[in-house]
Amino acid sequence: MSYYIDEMRPLPARAAALREEVQGAVQSVCTERAIIWTQYHRRRENRKKPAVVRMAEALAEVLARKSIAIYPGELIVGNFSSKRVGGSIFPELHGVPVMLDLLRFRNRETNPLAVTGKEIRSLLAVIPFWMFRFMALRAYRSPLARIRFVADQLKAHFYLINESGGISHIAPDYEKLIRIGAGGFIAEIEERERDSAPDEVARDLYRAMKIIAEGIARFGERYGELAAAMAGEEADPAKRRELEAIAESCRRVPRGGAETFRDAVQSLFFAQIALNLESLDNSVCPGRMDQYLYPYYRRDLERGLITRDEAKELLACFSIKMSEIIPVFSSHLTNFHGGMFNGQVVTVGGVDRNGSDGVNELTYIFLELMDQLRMRQPNYHARVHAASPRQYMDIITGMLARGSNTPALYCDESIIAMMTKNGYSLEDARDYTGVGCVEPVSQGKSFSSTDAAIFNVPLCLEMALNGGRRFGHLFRSGARTGPAGSLMTMDSVKGAFEAQLRRKMGDLIRDLRAVELANRRYHPTPLTSMLIDGCIDAGRCSTAGGARYNFSGVQCVAPADTGDALFAVERAVFQEGRYTMKGLVAHLKRNLRDQRVRLYLRNLEKFGNDREETDRWTLYVIDRFGETLRSFGKNTRGGGYVTGLYSVTAHEYFGRITGALPSGRRRGEPFASGIAPESGMDRFGPTAVCNSVNRIDFTKIGNGVNLNAKFDPHSLRGDEGRAALQGLIQTYFRRGGMQMQINVLDPEMLAAARDDPALYPNLMVRVSGYSSYFNDLTPAMKDEIIRRSLYQC
Amino acid sequence: MEPKAAPSLQERGIVFDVQQFSLHDGPGIRTTIFFKGCPLRCRWCQNPESHRYSMELSYSRDRCIRCNECVRVCPAGAVRDDECRFDMSRCTLCGSCAEACPARAVRVVGMEYSPEALMAEAGRDRDFFSGSGGGVTLSGGEPMGQHRFLAAFCPMLKAQGIHILLETCGHFEWSAMEGLLPFLDLVYFDLKHADDGAHRKWTGVGNGLILENLGRLSASGVPVQPRMPVIPGVNDGGENIAATAALLRGYGQGVIHLLPYHNLGEGKRRQLDSPSEYIALEPMQEGAMERVKNLFVEEGLDVVLYR
Ligand code: SF4
Ligand code: SF4
Repeated sequence: MSYYIDEMRPLPARAAALREEVQGAVQSVCTERAIIWTQYHRRRENRKKPAVVRMAEALAEVLARKSIAIYPGELIVGNFSSKRVGGSIFPELHGVPVMLDLLRFRNRETNPLAVTGKEIRSLLAVIPFWMFRFMALRAYRSPLARIRFVADQLKAHFYLINESGGISHIAPDYEKLIRIGAGGFIAEIEERERDSAPDEVARDLYRAMKIIAEGIARFGERYGELAAAMAGEEADPAKRRELEAIAESCRRVPRGGAETFRDAVQSLFFAQIALNLESLDNSVCPGRMDQYLYPYYRRDLERGLITRDEAKELLACFSIKMSEIIPVFSSHLTNFHGGMFNGQVVTVGGVDRNGSDGVNELTYIFLELMDQLRMRQPNYHARVHAASPRQYMDIITGMLARGSNTPALYCDESIIAMMTKNGYSLEDARDYTGVGCVEPVSQGKSFSSTDAAIFNVPLCLEMALNGGRRFGHLFRSGARTGPAGSLMTMDSVKGAFEAQLRRKMGDLIRDLRAVELANRRYHPTPLTSMLIDGCIDAGRCSTAGGARYNFSGVQCVAPADTGDALFAVERAVFQEGRYTMKGLVAHLKRNLRDQRVRLYLRNLEKFGNDREETDRWTLYVIDRFGETLRSFGKNTRGGGYVTGLYSVTAHEYFGRITGALPSGRRRGEPFASGIAPESGMDRFGPTAVCNSVNRIDFTKIGNGVNLNAKFDPHSLRGDEGRAALQGLIQTYFRRGGMQMQINVLDPEMLAAARDDPALYPNLMVRVSGYSSYFNDLTPAMKDEIIRRSLYQC
Repeated sequence: MEPKAAPSLQERGIVFDVQQFSLHDGPGIRTTIFFKGCPLRCRWCQNPESHRYSMELSYSRDRCIRCNECVRVCPAGAVRDDECRFDMSRCTLCGSCAEACPARAVRVVGMEYSPEALMAEAGRDRDFFSGSGGGVTLSGGEPMGQHRFLAAFCPMLKAQGIHILLETCGHFEWSAMEGLLPFLDLVYFDLKHADDGAHRKWTGVGNGLILENLGRLSASGVPVQPRMPVIPGVNDGGENIAATAALLRGYGQGVIHLLPYHNLGEGKRRQLDSPSEYIALEPMQEGAMERVKNLFVEEGLDVVLYR
C-alpha cells in the first residue's frame, strides 16, 4: 500500500507545509478576472481600440488590480487567483455556458467548486454583456449558423471544438524572458518599429506587446512592494530576511533579466500567471525547465550563492504553486477534461539542440521532486533517448515501478523523426516538449492548437452500418450511404465508413476554421505572441499565424474500438457467415440483448494482442482518419491539421452517447483510452500490446500518442521488476513508440477509494497523459479506471 | 497412480499455454511455454491442466449461458443439455463445441505445435528479450516429457540467440537430457522432498531418479538453480530442510529458491474431468516462508524468497 501514499520519502519541512496548505485548500472560483475583464470591455472609450490592444490593456488591468498575497513560508510568489487554490472564468471564451452552470458549482458531484452567493451575483451581472459576444457565438455571423453551432457543441456527439474556448497549448520562450526581461522585449520591439516599416496590423501588435510587457513588469513590482511592506512588519528576523529576498527579486524581474537562479524561477512564474489569464488557462507549459534554468543554477553554485538543497527548495516552492490553479469547467466540459487539470507540462531530460544528452543536476532535482511531491500539477514529462544516462533511467523506472505514476515518458528518436518529417528544423525538433497531455511542440517556437478538436470515430461506423443514421434516429445526420442490407462486401462497409468520416470530419473542419478566425479576430493574444518566436519578426499575432510553427491537432478517439468492430464485421458476416449484415445491425439496434450474440462478438480477437489480422483494422482506421484530415489542407494560421491518438477523458463521454458496436461493446460503455486496447481485451499483457501498437507508423501521428500501460504493483516489485519495466519501455521506444505512461494500480484499493473518497484523499492516477486525483474524476471515469486495472498481467 | 509415459510424438509439441511478459520466472522479460503432461502427481498441484500429455476438454459451468450451441454442433453426440453436459467417453476432441461456444465456456486444453509454429509464438517478444536480458522459459507440466520435441525446438531458439531456461521436476531419463545440454542456459530444478518415501507419498514417484539427475546436471556445466515449493505440513519441517540442504551441499549448490504455496488449484480442477486426488492444504501462514528461509540459512545456504 505504501506505493501510493505521498509520504514515501520525507520532504523538506517548508515544502511539506506548503503542500499541505495547498492540498487542504478548498477549490474555489475566483471572479476577479471575469469582472475586471468585463469592466474594461464595457468602457466606451475602449470599444474602438484594435482588438489586440484591448486584450493587452484588459490583461494589464487584471494584473494591476487583482488581489495579491504572499503566503507564509513561500519563497516563490505570485497568485493565479484571489483564492489559495482557485480558477478563473473567461466570459468571452466558453464563459457563458460555464456561468450558466454557476448555480450548480457548489453542489455538483464531480469537481465541486466553492463560490459564495455574492460572487455568484457579481458573475451573473456580467452575463448579459457577454451573452452574444462569447467565442462560440462569434464563430458564425448568420444567426441560424450560430445557433446550430452552439447547440451542436453543447451536445458534442460527433466532435467537440475545444478551440472555441481559446487556444493556449504553448511552451513559451521563457529562456528569453528570463534572459532579457520584459524591458528587453520592449527595447527589441522599439528597435523593430524603428528599423522596419511595420504595417498597421504590426503596429497595433507592437503597441499591444509593449503594453503587456509593461503590465507583467508592474505585476512583479507589486509583489516587490508587498514583500517589502510585510518585511517591515515582520518581527522574526529569519522570516524578515526571506521577505526581503523576495522583495529584491520581484523588483528585478520580470522587468529585467534574471541575475540569480531564484530570479529566473520567479520571472517565469509571473509570466506563467499572466499567460493563464490571457487566454484559455489550459496547457501553458514551462516545458524544458532543467535546460534553460541550468546556466543560472551553475553560475549561482560557482559564485557560492546557492546550494543544491536551496535550489531544490526553490523548485519545490515553484512546483507546489503550480497546483494553486484549477480550471473552471462546466459539467459538460468536465466530461471531456476530467480531473481538474490545467496541463502545465514541465519536461526534463532528452537531447539538447545539438543532439547531445541534456541531463544535468537540475534534472535529478526535478525527478526527486516529482517523486516526493506527487501533486496534480505540474504535469511532469521525462524525455528518453538511446544514450540517456543509466542513472537517469534507473531513477525513473524505479519511481514508476514503485507506483509514482509520474513522469510520463517520451522517446526522443521517434518524436524528433516525426517532427522533422512534419516540417520542423532538426534543432527545433530536438528542443521539443510536450504540452497539454502528450502533444510535442518546439519550446518557444510553436503556436499549435494541439487540442483544437476531438472526434468520435465509432459514431461514423454506427452511421455507416445504418444508411447515415444513428441507431434509433429517424433523421439522417451523416452522409447518404446504403442501408445495411446493401453492404455486401467488406469493401462496401469500408466505403460507407469512409464516406461518413469524410462528411463529419468535413463538418468539424468547417466549424474549426470559423473558430480559428474568431480567435484571430476577437481574441488575439499579444503576450503569448511576444513569448513565441516568430511573431515579433512577422509582426503578426500568434492567432494570425505569426509563430514559426502552426499546427492544429484533431484527436482520433477510439480507433481500437472502431478497428475491432470492423474486424468483427469481417469475421462474423463475411468470413464465418454467422449473421447477415442486416441481422447483425438488428442485434446492434437492440443493444445486443441476445447474450449469445454479444458474447460471441465480445470474444472475438481484439486489437492489442499482437495478431496482424486484427490489428490491421485499427491501423486502417488511424490511416483513414489521418488521410482524411490531410485532405483538408492547412488551417487558417498556415499550419497543417495533424492526428492525435489520445482521448483525455472523451473516450468515456463519447462512449456514453454511442450505440452498440459489432465488437460486442454495448451502448453507453466507455471506449478504450488513447491507443490502448479495449479494457480487459489485452489477453497477453504489455509486450503484446506494445507489439500491436508498434505497428502504427508514428511519423504520421503529428499530435502525439498516449499509451497507458497498466501494471499491478506485484508484477513490478523488486529490482527485477524495475529492470523488466525498463526493458519494456526501451524496447517499445527503440521500435518507434513515442510516449508511454506507467500506471501501477491496485483495483481493490481503487474500489475502496471510490466507495469512500475520504480514505485516500490524495490518491493519484494517470488518466490520459496527465495525473489527476482520483477523487476529482467523474463516477464513470472512476469505474473505468477500476475496470481497466482489473485486467492486468 | 502410475504416470503415463509420453506419447511418441514426432516433433509435435503439446502446449497448454504460452504466456508473454512473464516476470519473476527467470531473468528479464520472458515468454513461458507450458508443456502438457507430467510424470508426477503432486497432491497440491495448482495446475491440473498440466497433468495429461493429451489434449482434453475443459468446461466452465460458471461461464456457460446454457445456449446449447455445443449440443447442436457436436458430431459425436457427446453433449447433452444437462448438468454434466459432456460425456467424455464419446468425445473425439474435434473441437467443434469450443469453436461454437459464444461464451468460451468450453475449450480444448492443449494445442499441437510444430517446432516452427511454436517458434513463431515464442519469438513474438524477441525484441523485449534482448532489451531486458530475458528469454524463453520451458515449463509445464514437465517439458522433459516432450524431450524429442525439445530436441528440435531448442536449436531453433538458440539460432535466434534466445536465452533458454528449462524448468523441470527432474524425473526424466538422463539420455533425454544429454542432447539438450548445449542449448540450455539455465535450469530451474524443483525439489519436493528429500525423503524417498515421503516423495512417493505426496507426488506418486520416488526421488531416486530425480536426485541422480540433479547430480548429473550439477556436474554438466549448465547453471542449475534448485528450487523448492514450500508446502505447509509436507516439506516445511526442520528435518526435511536439513536433509535437503545436505543434499544440495553435496552437489555443490549454494543457493535455493523458495516458492510459496498458493491455493489456486481447486477452481481450475473442477473445470477438468480430473480424477487425481486433491488435498486441500492450509494456506500459508504469515511468516512461514521466513521461518523456512532461516532454517536454510542456518544450514549455510543462500535463499531467494519468491512472493
Ligand atoms: S455452447 Fe457454451 S455456453 Fe452454450 S451451452 Fe454449450 S458450453 Fe454452455
Ligand atoms: S470436442 Fe467435438 S466431440 Fe467432443 S464434445 Fe466437443 S464437439 Fe463433441
